[in-house]
This record gives sequence, structure tokens and C-alpha cells, in this order.
Amino acid sequence: MTFSQEIKDKMVQFAKEQSQYYLDEAEMTYLEKLRWKTGQTRSKIAAKLAKFKGRSETALEAQNDLLLYMSDYMKDLMEKGLSEEEAFERAKEELEYRSESERSADLHERFARYYEMRDPAEYEAIGLFYAGFLFFGVSIGALIGYLGGGGREMFLTDGWIDTAIGAAVGAVIGLGAGLISNAVIVLKKK
Amino acid sequence: MLEIISRGETYGYEIAKKLHQMGFEGLAEQTVYALLLRLEKNRLVHITKKPSEMGPPRKFYRLNERGLEELAAFWARWDYLSGCIQNLRNSGRDDGDLQSGNQG
Repeated sequence: MTFSQEIKDKMVQFAKEQSQYYLDEAEMTYLEKLRWKTGQTRSKIAAKLAKFKGRSETALEAQNDLLLYMSDYMKDLMEKGLSEEEAFERAKEELEYRSESERSADLHERFARYYEMRDPAEYEAIGLFYAGFLFFGVSIGALIGYLGGGGREMFLTDGWIDTAIGAAVGAVIGLGAGLISNAVIVLKKK
Repeated sequence: MLEIISRGETYGYEIAKKLHQMGFEGLAEQTVYALLLRLEKNRLVHITKKPSEMGPPRKFYRLNERGLEELAAFWARWDYLSGCIQNLRNSGRDDGDLQSGNQG
């Protein structure tokens, strides 16, 4: 039993794409241990792995193995009465790489990186920046509103509204400045 | 999979078929391929490449010494575990019998 050229091409393309994921997972057991020992992040290791795969025959072998496995499975399905296209679709669905362990490893790493990056002094500094800018903005805004509204005499009649608006605008400006300082700290930390 | 390979030279899809015939029908096709890669990476199998009609050579697997040791270790662990579970099951029943006997 042979396959049409079109299906063969599709099979090769599928095997080429998917075998890389399987190969990554097979390699990861060792690399995960390495990562824990050296404290390296997975992205760095993945980059190294990509270089390794690029210059080795491992990737091609994994691709060929998947291609042959797929063709055996498809022949089996066709003997059971499925058309070539149906067999290809079924095999594609069954052999498509999916790994919960990889997803959970990603999540684990993101958490680990998040906690590694946490520094109490940094959070305290960000909080102080917010509070400082807020007080500064409210004070300046209220003062401008108070003076612009006509001073004490006007404040006691209807001028208080200018002071309130000034304080509100000052608070918004203060929060904005706090956000900018937060962003600057985060970017410096990277 | 180690047990199946230990019974004689075989290849990927044949292993999957044997597993299905033995009752592991829910086993996903991708699992066998992924495990084969891992067996190869862990150097538990000896590989012989033979020509295939699809073009690339087909890999035939045989257990090497390390693979045989791993298989023996697995069965030892399995025997120990199943023995413990059986004891647990039996002791639970005995206790139940004793309790119902005492009540009677």
C-alpha cells in the first residue's frame, strides 16, 4: 500500500514540525535537572537545545521515526476502510504533540522567576514613590486651586470648588508620576 | 514497552499494536512514539536500521544489557508494590470479618 505524493508531502511536513516537540520533551528530563542545578532559565536552555538540534542528526532521525510510525498507523487505518485523507487526518490528530507536563513546567518557571524577581526594598520604594507623588500632587493642586480661586475670602464663599478641583487634578498627576516611577524601576530591574 | 521489546526485535508501530492487543486500547498513539524516543535517549535499547518502503530506514529495537536490568528492576518494584497492595486488601477483609464476627 502506497500513499499519493500530496499525502506524502503532508506527512513529511507534519513529522518535521511535530518531531521537534517530542524531541524537546525527551531531552528536557536531563535539561530540567541541569536548570535546577545551575539556576538557568528554560528559555536559555531551549536556545542551546536549538543549536544542538541544528547541528546533529538527532532531529532528522526523530522526524523519520515519526514519519514511519505515522505511515504504519495510516496503513492500518486504511486496511480498516478509511480513505487516505481520513487516515491522514486521524493520524495527525492522534500523533499531534500535547504535553501537560510541559505546560505545568512553564507555569512553574514563571512563578519561580516572579518570586526570584521580588525584592521587598523595591516594593517599599515603589509604594513610597506613589505616596510621595500623591501628596505632592494634591498639595500643589490644592494650593494652585486655592490661590487661583481668590484666596481665603473666596474659599469661604464659592471658591472652595477651585481648591477641590485643584486637589483632584493634583492627585491624578501624582498617581501618573507614581506609575512612571514604577515603570522605570521595573525596566531598570530587567 | 520494555517487556514487549525484550521478547524479540520489533519496531515502533508493532509495539503499539501489541499493546493494543494486550488490552491497552486507550493508549494514545503519540505515547508510544514519545516513549521510544526516551528509551533511545536513556540508552536502554540496541537499534538496528533496515530499509523501509517509505524511504528513511526503519529502526528495530532490542533491549541491551541496561534495558534488561531496567526491566528486571521494574518487575521487582511491581512485585513488591502489588504484594503490598494485596496484603492491604486482604488485611482489610480480615479485619472486616473479625469485626462482623465480634458483632455476631
